[in-house]
Amino acid sequence: MKEISLEVLQDAAHRLMFELSDEELKTLYEEFQTLKKQMETIGKIEGVDEAEPMTFPFACENSFLREDVAETPLDRDEALKNAGNVQDGQIKLPKVVG
Amino acid sequence: MNFEAIIGLEIHVEMKTKSKMFSAAPNSFSRTPNSEVALLDMAYPGTMPVVNKQAVINAIRVANALHMTIDHELRFDRKNYFYSDLPKGFQITQQFRPIGSNGYLEIKTREGGTKRVEIERIHMEEDTCKQLHLLDYTLLDYNRAGVPLVEIVSRPDIRNGTEAMRYVEAIRNIVVYSLTSDGKMEEGSLRCDVNVSLRPYGQKAFGTKVEIKNINSLKNIEAALDYEILRQNSLLLSGQKVQQETRRFDEATGRTVLMRVKTDAVDYKYFPEPNIVPIRLSDEFVQNAIDTCPELYDAKKAKYLAKGLSETDAEIILSDLAMATYFEKGLSLVKNPKGLANFVIVEVNGYLNKNGISINEFGLSAENLAKIANLQEEGFTHKQCADIFNHCLANNVTPEEAQKALNIQKQVVDEGAVLEAVTAVLDANPQSIADFKNGKDRAKGFLVGQVMKASKGKLNPAAVAKVLEEELKKR
Amino acid sequence: MSYLDLSISELHEALVAKKVTPLELAQEALARAKADNNNAFELILEDEALAFASTLTEPEADNPFWGIPFVAKDNFSTKGIETTASSNVLKGYVPLFDAAVIERLKAKKAVLIAKATMDELAMGGTGTTGHKGITYNPWDPKHTRLCGGSSCGSAVSVAANIVPFSLGSDTGDSVRKPASLNGLVGMKPTWGRISRYGLFPFAPSLDHVAYFTRSVKDSALALNLLAGRDERDATSSLRPVEAYESSLEEGVKGKKFAVIKEIIDSTSDKEVLAKFNASLEALKKEGAEVEIVSFGERLLESIYATYFVISCAEATSNDANLDGIKFGPYYGGKSYQEVMMNARTKGFSKLIKRRFVIGSFSLMAENQDELFRRAQRARSLIVSRTNEILADFDYIYVPAAPSVAREFGATSDKLSNEYLIADNHLALGNFAGLPSITVPLFLENGLPVGVNLMGRAFEEKSLFQGARAIEKITGLENLSAVNKKEGTL
Repeated sequence: MKEISLEVLQDAAHRLMFELSDEELKTLYEEFQTLKKQMETIGKIEGVDEAEPMTFPFACENSFLREDVAETPLDRDEALKNAGNVQDGQIKLPKVVG
Repeated sequence: MNFEAIIGLEIHVEMKTKSKMFSAAPNSFSRTPNSEVALLDMAYPGTMPVVNKQAVINAIRVANALHMTIDHELRFDRKNYFYSDLPKGFQITQQFRPIGSNGYLEIKTREGGTKRVEIERIHMEEDTCKQLHLLDYTLLDYNRAGVPLVEIVSRPDIRNGTEAMRYVEAIRNIVVYSLTSDGKMEEGSLRCDVNVSLRPYGQKAFGTKVEIKNINSLKNIEAALDYEILRQNSLLLSGQKVQQETRRFDEATGRTVLMRVKTDAVDYKYFPEPNIVPIRLSDEFVQNAIDTCPELYDAKKAKYLAKGLSETDAEIILSDLAMATYFEKGLSLVKNPKGLANFVIVEVNGYLNKNGISINEFGLSAENLAKIANLQEEGFTHKQCADIFNHCLANNVTPEEAQKALNIQKQVVDEGAVLEAVTAVLDANPQSIADFKNGKDRAKGFLVGQVMKASKGKLNPAAVAKVLEEELKKR
Repeated sequence: MSYLDLSISELHEALVAKKVTPLELAQEALARAKADNNNAFELILEDEALAFASTLTEPEADNPFWGIPFVAKDNFSTKGIETTASSNVLKGYVPLFDAAVIERLKAKKAVLIAKATMDELAMGGTGTTGHKGITYNPWDPKHTRLCGGSSCGSAVSVAANIVPFSLGSDTGDSVRKPASLNGLVGMKPTWGRISRYGLFPFAPSLDHVAYFTRSVKDSALALNLLAGRDERDATSSLRPVEAYESSLEEGVKGKKFAVIKEIIDSTSDKEVLAKFNASLEALKKEGAEVEIVSFGERLLESIYATYFVISCAEATSNDANLDGIKFGPYYGGKSYQEVMMNARTKGFSKLIKRRFVIGSFSLMAENQDELFRRAQRARSLIVSRTNEILADFDYIYVPAAPSVAREFGATSDKLSNEYLIADNHLALGNFAGLPSITVPLFLENGLPVGVNLMGRAFEEKSLFQGARAIEKITGLENLSAVNKKEGTL
């Protein structure tokens, strides 16, 4: 596992597109230490490494696939009415480079 | 030192389903921005993905054509990253369980042999929204967001630009003929990312990979790779290192150009999509998808060759699915498939090019073209048939009506009638006979013309030429 | 006495008999909502509710929800009505569609009175972290105690007799725990039983639509309405829906109750234990078999960290759509990154940000084995053990919480080493997706404590039957902070 440091956590926050204050980072760091310990303890439970990672609460596969039928799309003005910056029927952003 | 190029390709194909991969928004490539958007495509909170059946059927057909193992349980995963064109902040894909794995494709090598290119995986995913970059801002169009994609990833078996081009061409033929996609590289419905590295012959380890992005035609795949291999080759020979970077192909100069140097790989934090439970595909469903797959390129080509078409003619017709479809409509109606092919390749294509239209807008039905082709088999000249063809198109009439209007009749080949006309013309033109005897070959052409003129074109020119030749010898 | 103090079924009779009209009910519910001093509401929908209620003139005798006022947690998408999930990141967001459950309730002519406060984005269990601040427990007029969350406003709405029914969501225990602290019936059915379409996701593999009522019968009637297949939610079950109230009064003779030993052992409140034991004796008298079963302490201790890692990981991905570009406040910026940074930095509270970092870190390729996938493996073991017990028993029966609602400052949302089994075991129902219901047990110094009953997947009918038996034993049917009563235990 990646070593946890304040820098690593700040970098993770930036990759999630927000800032964390130094104080928040410190709290987060402490929370992480606790969590890490708990997860290490869990790692020692008998059979945990052999268990299949579980995504769904129970076996619930089905065979349903949506028929390929197009439905009426959103009215364009409706679709964009919650956006903060719109021009010519499109959402406008500062020039995206790269 | 001699280097060997190692080439891998990732091909993204946009499917032409009626609705999107996970939403029911129309998928018809509208040019009006944001006119084909459902709630999910803009990631409105609480919207959920539901898998499109036709997209699955298409993926199964392509996987089968690529000889892949098909997973009968569909699972989806999330690829997490932030970007302006990614509405949900993740893309739903099939990272851990691609629908198809371990396939191959056979291609012709530059040297003329055949070669098997192994294919690692094919999986379904969704497209991002389209960005329009203007001078100092960017506009977002969500029409493309959620369009179904299949991604096909090859193993690094390809060694040069020609092989890469042929590999992509073969993939394109499969997706086009299975009706999965338009497969148009110029329009982005088939997108190709190529990676290439060099290593000394005999070495196991791979060299540093360079990625070339967004190449927009088959020819450019070949050109870009052949250039890039030369570039890396000369770097290595002069003792320099190849940088890990992303490049693009500049069509004007025929060179690859640096886009960005790759830093550390992005961690996409993949995990299983919790909003789509595993979907069990019955054996019947998979088999039915395969059995109902439209006839593919290779099968059609074999069929055409068996019907007597030359390889070149078959390939010309098959270069356009609509053209092939048109051709096949007439195929069962004609006596000579080669003759029909000739009309399609020469007359039809000529007309389309001249008028700048596609075969879908072409005014003569395949049934009527077949009739015209059959006329030639019955003894009408190609010129006569071509006249009927043009008259039909110009006046929107049937071949029968055109033939009547043009008063086209079968030419006389009867030797007696021809001899009579030839004798009369020879008798009237002693000077021309003399010219011919003196070595002026042109005189013969003049005499044929005179015979045709006198008979008002009713005699068959080939028959006239043959008889005239014989009669000239006798004089 | 007000009609709003009645249960849904009693109210239904009054409506059908035209003793009261939907409009009168809506007016009174709105008046009570406006008078609320517990900070239960994001938005009170006076105009919409009155307009709709006034169209309801012909009672529908076979539709128990006709004209019934209700409240929805603010993480249910409501068309044309601002929905923020109590987060600044969604301030001003007006959805274009109704959640599936809102549609169903509207179709049955239930009247939406208000959108309820919640812990921000449903990521909390205290009712203190929403952008409107603390929501108070209506049982404590001095406002010194937690209401519990994340469905805090929904709990208040029913506990303060503003409405007889409210929608919540339950990812760890967000309905069933506040039900215990507010003296309510809190029901979370099987995962996939109710469509989640239109519920703002927190952690989809654990998320459930859940709800509050004041009686088990009302809870069963509500599931009749809410349950069923929805093709817009791919996780929605294809199993047929049952008449969930049909076996309510059949008792528990021969039913087998498993009591988890470690949960009892970790409960320190003696009165809670005494009353719980009294309920066991009463159940036995009714013919039920009761057995104390050991679950495995290590597994139970793992619940909280396992829950934390999985839910934060899924949440960081689900909430990646909240970037200020398509909806939510737009603050501008010199690049798209700055646009996102501004929206997300200003929009999320620090608690949420910390949870996102933890979730994201758990999902990094090099960390997954020790964090996310390990949590998924632990979940698998915990679920196996739960189902093992339920193979032999009809129900798992335990106190829903170790005590009455705590005073502010006594708990915190930060991770603590003192994670108590008794405080976190309800997440078992989310891990395994099993139906789970909290009902009131008794009042301790005037404050309620609940018990929880969990059954096998899709066996909600049997679950209601068991819960009804407990309700009869406790004598606390239709309890609320207004309808105060002594229990019979």
